[in-house]
Amino acid sequence: MNLIIIGLATLATVIRIFALIGLSVVSGWILAFLAIRSRRFENTYVPIVNVLESIPVISFLPIVLIVFIYNLGQGLGVEIGADFLVFDAVAWNIWIGIYQAFKTVPENLLEVSENYRLGSFTILRLLYIPHSIPRITSNIFSSFADAFFYISVSEIFTVGVKQYSTFGVGTIIALATEAGDFVTVYYSLFFIAIAVIVVTILVSQFSRHAVAKYGVDTAGEIKRATFEARYRRYRRRLAVQLGVDRVSKYIPRATFYQRRSSMLDDERESDSDTRKRINYSGILKVALITTGGAIFGYILYSAVRLVISVPSSEWNGFVSITPFLLYAMAIDYVRVAVVALAALGLAIFLGYFMATHHRVGTIIAPLLQIWAAFPAPTYFPLIFIATLPFLRAYLPLWYGEIYIFILAFVSCFYYVFFDFWIGVQAIPSEFWEVMQNHELGFFTRMRKIILPATFPYLITGISSTINSAWAGLAIGEFWPLIDGKHSLYAGVGMMKFITENMASGRVGDAAWVSLIFGIVVAIYGIVFTRNLMDLARKKYVVEEGVYAA
Amino acid sequence: MNSHTITKGPSEVQLTQGSVLQCQDLSYRYPNGKLVFKDINLLTFEDELVAIVGPTGTGKSTLLRCLGLLLRPTTGHVYLNGREVTHPSSKIALVHQSIATFPWMTALDNVKLALKCKKGISDKEATEISERMLELCGLKGHEEDYPKEMSGGMRQRITIARALAASPAVILMDEPFVHLDEFTANSLRKEIYDLVFNPETSLKSAVLVSHNLTEVIELADRVYVMNGSPAKIVDVVKIELARPRSPRDPMFYEYADRLYAKLNMKEAIP
Repeated sequence: MNLIIIGLATLATVIRIFALIGLSVVSGWILAFLAIRSRRFENTYVPIVNVLESIPVISFLPIVLIVFIYNLGQGLGVEIGADFLVFDAVAWNIWIGIYQAFKTVPENLLEVSENYRLGSFTILRLLYIPHSIPRITSNIFSSFADAFFYISVSEIFTVGVKQYSTFGVGTIIALATEAGDFVTVYYSLFFIAIAVIVVTILVSQFSRHAVAKYGVDTAGEIKRATFEARYRRYRRRLAVQLGVDRVSKYIPRATFYQRRSSMLDDERESDSDTRKRINYSGILKVALITTGGAIFGYILYSAVRLVISVPSSEWNGFVSITPFLLYAMAIDYVRVAVVALAALGLAIFLGYFMATHHRVGTIIAPLLQIWAAFPAPTYFPLIFIATLPFLRAYLPLWYGEIYIFILAFVSCFYYVFFDFWIGVQAIPSEFWEVMQNHELGFFTRMRKIILPATFPYLITGISSTINSAWAGLAIGEFWPLIDGKHSLYAGVGMMKFITENMASGRVGDAAWVSLIFGIVVAIYGIVFTRNLMDLARKKYVVEEGVYAA
Repeated sequence: MNSHTITKGPSEVQLTQGSVLQCQDLSYRYPNGKLVFKDINLLTFEDELVAIVGPTGTGKSTLLRCLGLLLRPTTGHVYLNGREVTHPSSKIALVHQSIATFPWMTALDNVKLALKCKKGISDKEATEISERMLELCGLKGHEEDYPKEMSGGMRQRITIARALAASPAVILMDEPFVHLDEFTANSLRKEIYDLVFNPETSLKSAVLVSHNLTEVIELADRVYVMNGSPAKIVDVVKIELARPRSPRDPMFYEYADRLYAKLNMKEAIP
């Protein structure tokens, strides 16, 4: 396989991912701004995004097929379908992160904006957007990793005998693995590794700069973006040192400008009650509702058309398999619980160790970030090939479940790990001093202080871990011809049902189980996750634990 | 003091002639129903710095925000140069207790923010005005620095420069030195009176909220004492000490004792 083609495919995938991250960021800004301006919009927007975040990307595959590919055709339909799946992988945590950043803009800066009567767009541009930059950069990395994880299912998928694909490294790896061309697979992994390392370095550097420049209470050197900005600063300092009175000669002009502006202000304020301000927020809301309504309307129209076209005998078939689907879902929930608990356990011990041994942390953290960004489905076949003879010989009944567990684990562990690690680092130094002062043992510290203090971070991390675990199950429970010879199948599993039916062309069955799964996940998100987050916000915000008068 | 009456709706309002900022029968109730203060009448004259003191929790900062209409008072009105103020305005500029600089903007951009809403000023003119205000506040040469590259005192000067750039008539200062170390605060206090009433600024009067009685006596021409729950003005003390004022002056202690006594009053407030 041509190395240039592989390189270009990798570049195409990276560009696609970052274009969609960019779209997520811009749309997140607009939606979050509307949410903070309108209580009604906020009460609708936030729950919907929370629910959408918890539905695994793979569940949207039938929608992609029905709405985009069948209606728009092979070329454009597949590309938009792939973009939709990648957008689904990257958007939600960025949207929530931006919303949280907008909600926590310091009150005093809001008062300054109000005092100087800044317009809506000016406030958005000069206050809300800059304040959200650190939160966006912290989410970019996990979004990038998520998107890369899904390239093997978003850039290429098989429905029945038809294969749909778009140009990208995920397509190349999938086709090469199918053909047993492992040289191409190795080269592709090499290019992916380069892309991941470059992105990790760039995002880490930008993250440091963003925190230094845009964080409200952070320290750090602020690098000027351009030579011109650095030179301007140098020139001003030099002028003062040399005693060159560059500014003072403008005294009369500056005073004149202020007086003139004051007079204009007086004229303006006399009819300020009748002066109408253009309601940009209102215009934006109407535009967004119109656009969103059009998209939603198109999806609804396609769905209704589909529902009408399905004969009643098929509906009866869907209903009859529902009890089995619920059983398969329960089995998968057990798998997810095992993976999540294992991830949580390792995250707590490793995260605590790294937070308390900083030098070790500085080495392990970037390595874990790079590993996390490397899509597991691309290197898992190599693990499979290397370990299959051993596991099949010694654990013949369990090796399938072990592989499914490994795939799910490596696809989701890092979420809860990084969230917990950041949470431990956010514990105030006073708390650590109290723990040392009273000679608290490891388990007492964990139970009484560290786990409660990191509770909000753990809720977010576990939620993301569970969502990603589903993705791992979706790939691991039904993976025909991993190495060209052997296949990996689960005995019973809802994700297996979805992917197996998609592969066989039974889209209706796959769509039905996706719908049921989406409803269950939505209920779970509303009943458990949201209430746990509310509890965490009320009682376990460790940053409020120390009052500095 | 001459006063004149204006009719506002069904009631008459007594406005004092020559007052710069005046509030009449101001009260504020929190959304949870708690009445913070009531029947507050306060006024300032030209070239006057007025202070508001009171125990913690009496609502001094809330009162300051009501004067700037950043919080809408439950009852009462605020007048600036005899005209009622109904919305926040750069003519009544607020300097915060927590130093409110935008960390992603240079000092110059922070100050220029005050001129964003002003029509009739081009970007070049705004730059010149902002540079002048920074120079007045002793920050010449630091225009391209970010707030994080500056000390707390320098950051607070940025906020004062920003307030002055907007050509306000009144400046409201909410414990502007509380987050600074004593040396920096002391140095800034010495300059603040000259800075605020510099003839090159449009400022006519200032209102200062502070817990620090020494600072209040050093800077203020009149002191409003708030106390009680809901809080009211229990006394107005005119400070008649020549400037520059020294804490070693025996009269200084007398004023301090008087203010302290009023702040510690526990009997019913009429």
